[in-house]
Amino acid sequence: MTSFQSTLDDDEDGIAEELAASQREISVAEFFEKNKHMLGFDSGARGLVTAVKEAVDNALDATEEAGILPDIYVEISEGRDYYTLIVEDNGPGITNAQIPKIFGKLLYGSRFHAREQSRGQQGIGISAAVLYSQLTSGKPVRIESRTQDSETANVYELIIDTDTNEPEISAETEVSAAKSDLRGTHGTRIEMALDANMRARGQLHDYIKHTAVVNPHARIELQEPGGELKSERAEEASLPAETDEILPHPHGVELGTLIKMLAETDSHSVSGFLQSEFTRVGSKTATGIIDAFRDEHFGREMRWRPPADADLEATVADAVANKDATHTAVFARTVADAVRDADSIAPAELGALVADAAADAQDDTGTSFGETVQANVVAAVRDALTSDRVADVLGPVDEATTVQKDDATVRGLAERIAAKFESDGDTDRVTRDTLDEYVFRAAENTAEYADATIGETARENVADALWARMATVPDDPPNTSALADDRDAASDLLAAMASVSVMAPPTSCLSPIEADQLEAGLRTEFDADFYAAATRDADVHGGDPFIVEAGIAYGGDIDSEGGVQLMRFANRVPLVYQRGACATTDVLGDIGWRNYNLSQPGGSGLPQGPAVIMVHVASTNVPFTSESKDAIANVPEIEAEIELAVREAARELKSFLQKRQSMRKRQQKQDVIMDILPTMAEKVGELTGRGGVDVSDSLARIMNNVLVERARSDDGQTVTLRVENHGTGSVDVDVTDIVSAEPDGVGDDASVVAMDDEYFVQWTPAVAGDDAAELTYSVDADADCELSVSGVADARLTVSEADT
Amino acid sequence: MSETHTSDETEARDQLLAIAEQFYDQFADGDIPRMSLPTRSKSNIEYDEDADVWVYGDSQSTRSANSVRGARKLLKSVYTVDFLAQQLDEGRSSTLRELYYLSESWDEAEAQFNDQSESDKLVEDLEIVSGVKREDFHMRPEESGAKVMGPLRLREQTRRGDREIHCQEDVGQGGYQIPNNPDTIDFLDTDADFVLCVETGGMRDRLVENGFDDDYNAIVVHLGGQPARATRRLTKRLHDELELPVTVFTDGDPWSYRIYGSVAYGSIKSAHLSEYLATPQAQFIGIRPQDIVDYDLPTDPLSDSDVNALESELEDPRFQSDFWTEQIGLQLDIDKKAEQQALASRGLDFVTDTYLPERLAEMGVL
Repeated sequence: MTSFQSTLDDDEDGIAEELAASQREISVAEFFEKNKHMLGFDSGARGLVTAVKEAVDNALDATEEAGILPDIYVEISEGRDYYTLIVEDNGPGITNAQIPKIFGKLLYGSRFHAREQSRGQQGIGISAAVLYSQLTSGKPVRIESRTQDSETANVYELIIDTDTNEPEISAETEVSAAKSDLRGTHGTRIEMALDANMRARGQLHDYIKHTAVVNPHARIELQEPGGELKSERAEEASLPAETDEILPHPHGVELGTLIKMLAETDSHSVSGFLQSEFTRVGSKTATGIIDAFRDEHFGREMRWRPPADADLEATVADAVANKDATHTAVFARTVADAVRDADSIAPAELGALVADAAADAQDDTGTSFGETVQANVVAAVRDALTSDRVADVLGPVDEATTVQKDDATVRGLAERIAAKFESDGDTDRVTRDTLDEYVFRAAENTAEYADATIGETARENVADALWARMATVPDDPPNTSALADDRDAASDLLAAMASVSVMAPPTSCLSPIEADQLEAGLRTEFDADFYAAATRDADVHGGDPFIVEAGIAYGGDIDSEGGVQLMRFANRVPLVYQRGACATTDVLGDIGWRNYNLSQPGGSGLPQGPAVIMVHVASTNVPFTSESKDAIANVPEIEAEIELAVREAARELKSFLQKRQSMRKRQQKQDVIMDILPTMAEKVGELTGRGGVDVSDSLARIMNNVLVERARSDDGQTVTLRVENHGTGSVDVDVTDIVSAEPDGVGDDASVVAMDDEYFVQWTPAVAGDDAAELTYSVDADADCELSVSGVADARLTVSEADT
Repeated sequence: MSETHTSDETEARDQLLAIAEQFYDQFADGDIPRMSLPTRSKSNIEYDEDADVWVYGDSQSTRSANSVRGARKLLKSVYTVDFLAQQLDEGRSSTLRELYYLSESWDEAEAQFNDQSESDKLVEDLEIVSGVKREDFHMRPEESGAKVMGPLRLREQTRRGDREIHCQEDVGQGGYQIPNNPDTIDFLDTDADFVLCVETGGMRDRLVENGFDDDYNAIVVHLGGQPARATRRLTKRLHDELELPVTVFTDGDPWSYRIYGSVAYGSIKSAHLSEYLATPQAQFIGIRPQDIVDYDLPTDPLSDSDVNALESELEDPRFQSDFWTEQIGLQLDIDKKAEQQALASRGLDFVTDTYLPERLAEMGVL
């Protein structure tokens, strides 16, 4: 089953209609009881998570809409009979009048039909939680609200009338700010008692933690009997961009939706309908779609070329009877010239051409060439045009077949195709399917008689070449109401819409987290060594634009045992249950993670290691596998984008891991060489009797290292720091010599800072590969120096402080 | 050997220390320590027209401290040079195997050898780089040279003084044991007409039992598989100093041809010493593939590895003669090999009475 929305739109027997129809027959309570598993309230443990989720989603929406950075407080306490759930936000507060809207009827949320990204997409949210509370505890929900700049807070007690499905305020009091339970100066606090337990603590914590990752701009605090969980706001995190509502996109609608839209539109013409009911369709795109519809629906007409030796003027003149000979000649010449100019011409085009010529001739000569005459002329010219169909078909056929085909085969094929046109009567009008059929049959016959093979590709090429030569017909498309009644024609329109390229839908309706914010979210929640995030460009599924984002955190404190943690999100809402049923899980399992340096036993399935992978799908309509909104459905377009987003982030991870591995190898190499070289030097010193020898230069060269060496002149007063770069790329090195006496003769390229009797002499030379820089200063011979070098990875740095 | 031992020792020591000096200079210049060696592979041996033997070509491999492997090798080299120099200083000697075990006592774990083949090879490397022979480092192989039987009188310098030995009259059935360094031998006189090197012990015993050395005035040298350096050196000296023709009698299979090859042309592993060890004039008696056909000998079929070895010999520059191309081609053709002992199928005396006299006459030795 797909989402509620498409079910509602497409299927006359959809749940919503069924629900609406049965409202008077069964109570909402009864409906809820029947369907609570679909709504996420099938057990006390899960019911609590769902209630928290709905309330927090609501709170986030309320604050964001008011342009306030969300501060959400969730408290769960265990009472004697029930659990109490409190969710408080720092939103703008709500008024009495807004209550029915917010706690409106089940499934009748205001967002239900909007093509705009929002958390509570399906409108079953908070009202279902309220109902669950009411049905399990029998107590009303307590709502406390204080609007901005208000001195007092309002407390409401609310129940949902299960007969009418309407929210009812059972008690309303005003309390002073001092007596208010609200933690801030404005906001809404919902308190509900419900039958619950904490068996799903893990999922609850996951939900809060994951919510924090995708809402780096929010501060979320959870207090529950077993402890607390706080997620701070990421630094510099801002509110998500506001979203706009948009119309459906031509590439995304399904046939049922299209027929429904056709039936409901105010537009009469298809062009008007396309432009007013779809996003990204202007008159040009509409014309393109209508032309494509003509091709689909009516077919195209073959253009024929008059034979070179045909005397068109005579043909026209003969067809005109009883007119002034001179005037007829003018008309005939006009027609003949126009036909020759057009090179090849289709019947409909010919009709228009003859009509034009008749009008011109009438202007010139005053003689009227009426419709009967025109029809005669058209018929006569068409006879001339179609006298050698083979010649006309031969051209495209010859071009489209490979040179290996011999002339007889090509000619045979052309003759047979031409014969199909001939036998099909006057119109020369065929749909693409019919054309394919012509080519297929002609190819089969040719193959049989000429003993030659004409493969699939050749047939397709021939059909393509012929189709390209044919003319789109000028027939008007049916109007919208006719189309709404004609399923086949509507299907042609849908195909036409799909075949024309249309600009991607505007993304103003979407509010992706954006890669940098996503990374910030991961940083606040996970202490890792590496973070990467990627946001894809918007794409479309089912007329709804969507954006996929992915993020990866790796290493650090992340648990390295077992599989990676997968966090799934839809419209900034964490998906906690049904991981195995989710498209995200499928896509990740199909990626070859070994290519990205993560281990993946068996080469498929979720990878293993200390990593967190998150995927966020933002859309005006996220397709879920069920109404409890736990798993994203396997929609190919979305799956493809998930894969691309994850791969994009994974590529960064790969290069990080490779770099880390190569640094590690390098460190190991350096460790061994650092052990070997001095021993070797000592030994050769002994053997040759020449004494000790410094190995740091050799070492730096072996390790492609940056070598920083200090040398002091014989009198000890001139200090030279030599920076040698034995690598290939250029490096920017921060060199600081900490000197115990005031240095002198420091060049302009250096800065000197005095601090607690020590002088920090600092340079930042850029040293090219295989090059060296020398930094000098003078100082008292007794002064002590200490080198500090940064800007180069430790593994690549050799510092030699040998004083001479 | 006219030079005194002391000057030999000093020279060997100086040559070794030159390697250390080179490393020292490289460190002092801030260079990466390295050592160049000829590439020791089949593709890099070439024929030396003057000496008539196969030596290493121009292709060089550099062993440098740029890699962990190279650095370890160089460290081991330095430790080995230290050990050898000390040994020369003290006038002592040791075996290759002792060197391997001795490395266990070195304080630096990275310098210790992983197995004996590594230390053996390193000593050969040092021979090449220093231009000094292993024997002059006072390094001995574990197993000594093979045994000689024949009408030859010689004098050997031993630790217990000089001994005069006749290789028939003064020795038992086993023959005279070639010392590790055959250059300590002086030849006094001989009645021999030629030298016959025999691959297998069984065949040597057969020849001695049948009195072949007596009957044909032959010095029978037992090769015992791939001949030790000392055996090859002695054979060369018998040829060069006593001007005796040298013949080689082996099994009829590709591995035995390589035994002949190392006697006659020098081995790939010790091509740097070919001039000192190889006897290019040595002639191959058999068993030739031709003999398998001519004498209709009992045979075994060639195994896959035999075929590979034969094919590899066809590409070996040392075997690029008409004789070997033809014989190896024939062997691949008949797909058979035969042992020396296969001649016993014609009777125990067949080899001494018929086969060898016929072959030697054919070769112009008799």
